[in-house]
Amino acid sequence: MEKRFELNASSEVLSPFRKELRQILSHAGWKKKTTEEILLAVDEALTNIIRHAYQGGPGKMTVSVVAADDRIEIVLEDWGKKFDPTQVPPPELPRQKPGGLGVHFIRTIMDEMIYEGQGSGGNRLRLIKRKNKI
Amino acid sequence: MKIQSTNQGDIHVLELSGELDYHSSPELREKLTELTVKQASKILVNLSGVDYMDSSGIATFVEAFQKAKRYQGRLILAALTPTVRGVFEIAKLDSIFEITSTVAEAEKCLGAKA
Repeated sequence: MEKRFELNASSEVLSPFRKELRQILSHAGWKKKTTEEILLAVDEALTNIIRHAYQGGPGKMTVSVVAADDRIEIVLEDWGKKFDPTQVPPPELPRQKPGGLGVHFIRTIMDEMIYEGQGSGGNRLRLIKRKNKI
Repeated sequence: MKIQSTNQGDIHVLELSGELDYHSSPELREKLTELTVKQASKILVNLSGVDYMDSSGIATFVEAFQKAKRYQGRLILAALTPTVRGVFEIAKLDSIFEITSTVAEAEKCLGAKA
């Protein structure tokens, strides 16, 4: 199953998008706990696009979801300022200051986080979660 | 997200419901800041109605918790759903915050006065 979403880079889109992704994951047979974790990881990646790539300004972001039997692969693209989450150092836990946990959540939940950049500017991030790791 | 603010004796109670994310967390931050600015000594956040929370929600609580600590105030998070508790666990913050299983337990911890 393959689905592509085009979203405005605005925090308002996060909740409706999660609803759609929750349905896809449920239909693909993911357990509730893992579904909620994957939603969190993707939500954090989208929040990073809104906050860091577009810095709160207008812009577009796309999410491509490929739900295979053994895994889910999610590719997020934007055309904002370069932001490579794989370069964000791991936080010291438990973190006593607000913020800095989003990338930690993505790293902890997903099996792979691959930053591919965009030739023409912007960012492309690939997130993979395998079912045998449930 | 909906936020209902009430007083149970000397405890300030915030009852949250819905989803706590980057979009809705500024509203919660505002409510918690109102309480920490006036140095509310006992703050109870009822999370039983929150079915989703991201790192923005966590950051909002960390900020309020640190502010309350500075004036010896207490902030207790009560009745977390399994999904929300899981987020605190991934952040390894479940041992830092005062978390109770029920609202009644939180009230007891805070020594509720009628």
